[in-house]
Amino acid sequence: MQFDFAAKELIIKLVYYGPALSGKTTNLQSLHVLADTGSRGRLMTLETRDDRTLFFDMLPLTFQAEKEISIRIKLFTVPGQVIHGSTRRLVLQGADGVAFIADSQLAETENNAAAFVDLRDNLKANGLKIGQMPLVIQFNKRDLPNVRSDVELVELARRGKEPVFPAVALSGQGVLETFMGLLNRTYAGLNAQHNLKQKFGISDNVLLEDVAKKLGAKVPVEELLRSALGGTPAVAAASPGKP
Amino acid sequence: MSESESSRVPHDDNLQALTLGTDVRLQDLVDHEALRDMVRSFHTLFGISLRVFSSDGLLLAESVVGQEICHYVGTLENGLRACMATVSKARTIEPAARSKEVTHPCFTGAQYRVFSIDYDGKKLGKAVLGPFLPAEVTSVPDTLLAVDPKIDGARALELLPRMPRAKTEAISLICDHLRRTLDLILWSGHKALLTSQMHLSSVRESYRELQQKNEKLQEAFDRLRELDRLKSNFLGVVSHELRTPLTSIIGYSEMLVEGIAGPLVGDQQKFVQTINDKGQQLLQLIMSLLDLSKLESGTMNMKKGTVAIGQLLSDVAATLAPKARKRSIEIECTVEPGLPDVQGDPDRLRQVFVNLADNAVKFSPEGSTIYVTAGPKSLDDSSDEEGFSLLEPSRRMIEVSVIDSGIGIPEDERERIFDAFYQVDSSSTREHEGTGLGLSIVKRLVDAHDGTVRVSANHPTGAIFSVVLPAAAQRSQLGSPARRPG
Repeated sequence: MQFDFAAKELIIKLVYYGPALSGKTTNLQSLHVLADTGSRGRLMTLETRDDRTLFFDMLPLTFQAEKEISIRIKLFTVPGQVIHGSTRRLVLQGADGVAFIADSQLAETENNAAAFVDLRDNLKANGLKIGQMPLVIQFNKRDLPNVRSDVELVELARRGKEPVFPAVALSGQGVLETFMGLLNRTYAGLNAQHNLKQKFGISDNVLLEDVAKKLGAKVPVEELLRSALGGTPAVAAASPGKP
Repeated sequence: MSESESSRVPHDDNLQALTLGTDVRLQDLVDHEALRDMVRSFHTLFGISLRVFSSDGLLLAESVVGQEICHYVGTLENGLRACMATVSKARTIEPAARSKEVTHPCFTGAQYRVFSIDYDGKKLGKAVLGPFLPAEVTSVPDTLLAVDPKIDGARALELLPRMPRAKTEAISLICDHLRRTLDLILWSGHKALLTSQMHLSSVRESYRELQQKNEKLQEAFDRLRELDRLKSNFLGVVSHELRTPLTSIIGYSEMLVEGIAGPLVGDQQKFVQTINDKGQQLLQLIMSLLDLSKLESGTMNMKKGTVAIGQLLSDVAATLAPKARKRSIEIECTVEPGLPDVQGDPDRLRQVFVNLADNAVKFSPEGSTIYVTAGPKSLDDSSDEEGFSLLEPSRRMIEVSVIDSGIGIPEDERERIFDAFYQVDSSSTREHEGTGLGLSIVKRLVDAHDGTVRVSANHPTGAIFSVVLPAAAQRSQLGSPARRPG
């Protein structure tokens, strides 16, 4: 997180991580479609070949909070292919929160796990601990055959720490929920760490509602967050200590 | 520094500022020359002057044509003062990011439009468009007539309409178009800048990662080399310690066989002889191990001198003659006359050829002949090497071949037979009483003499072991070349 006092700007960096072809870019594309024109910037895709991300995608979203403070959220994806390890480490630098986009297909089980271990290692290489990073998990491609069943997903989510969001990113299903889940956890963490509420007078509830509305939410944030399977409450998960 | 700290990715501030857009400057995102071209082209199309400034007040591009009315006003003392005040005021206008364009009026009735150049919601600079005369102005305004008492109204009326004219709403559209065009240029520029920065950072990060892995590999390599040295040392020490008690076993059994401690009866003689034989065999093995460990650790002492190869080979043949005779095998030695001496340790070279000839005897069928030949190394037909015709004559090599008609060595085994403890057929170790160390010692000894050893097939059966060794330098050829008289 960066706070520019002169420009009254809060910059939050969120990274979409996951194995190759799990739908990270599709998540950003769906969010770009959902966001109102005043809030979204251009979706920038750096260097693609055959529709595969080589460096990263970046989607800037800007929201006006109370007291003329603007919240700028920069969403990034990492290249999923194994060979782009150095790029993934660079993109993770300065991340405030991570959405892990997993592929629901059973055949991708190993790749999901390997990508998660890669995330953990790359965070560590950047001097960050995964336990201190606000994290949500999305199980994408729920519409495909041969995917992990809903029952299994619920059971796995119940036993795990992170909230799990089922999604079909291609049709936008679950995309907003994942994003709001991540923003909620990230903001709660930053708030606990930097006391944003007291210092700048931004109340998180109002901010989250406003962001959700500008991203086309038809229901209150509370309801979006409730669509998560499992996961411990956001504030409890956020560590007040320095990263 | 702990390991986790030294292996940490260094923070890339440049990349971070560029990706988060916290430190993006107009002048970094656009190509100056291209921006100037665009501004000129804009001026040509709309006929209105344009200036582009960065947020720190730097004039990045301009295309300006002086207006005749301005020239005229400039000739009047008060007019010039008023004109300069208007222009400098226009420069100080700083519209906020994402705000509408600001209109700045001139006393001539003309106008300037100033708008902010934004990127990703942040102000990076401003554009100043004008002066232009709004279409609504049809007469000379009072402010112009009042600027200086010496002004000529008719002249002003004549020059004012020559100024570029535009409708107010058209100007707003032009500003909007310019803003969009600039936004696209800035976005493309940012993308290109980010891509190149990302390229650089990725390469740097990959390099750092490789460097780190290299260090680990080097450490592992150093550790293995140290272990290898310790192994050789250990082997040397153990062989030495084994040899001491063995010498007693061999010595006392020999004395028993010779009857020094009284006559042996029945099978006793045979049994003690076997103890002695096996003791000798064990000693050979230990000596070989000792040699190998010395050769591997590079501690083998070589007493280098000149060795007459013919004499050496005769000795070898004589040494093995009794063993060969037992199996009716002949050893025939042929040495080309006039062969130069070899540079080397006579004892070690003898060991090389005894080993090879001993192998030949072991594996040759009864009644066959083993040929040991020595001659200058036969030259290959041609070579790719630069300066071959100069270099080759200086490298005089001698080739010694041991040729048998035994079981031969399959082609795919020919490289590996020089590895320690390797035997083509491991069951033959028992049959032929070998240790599997002979050839590996031969190879290392030949290497230590800057020579080569290789094996090829003999026809129809058998193997040819060829050892190539450098000839000793001939003193007469060095230092005193013959001079042509005169």
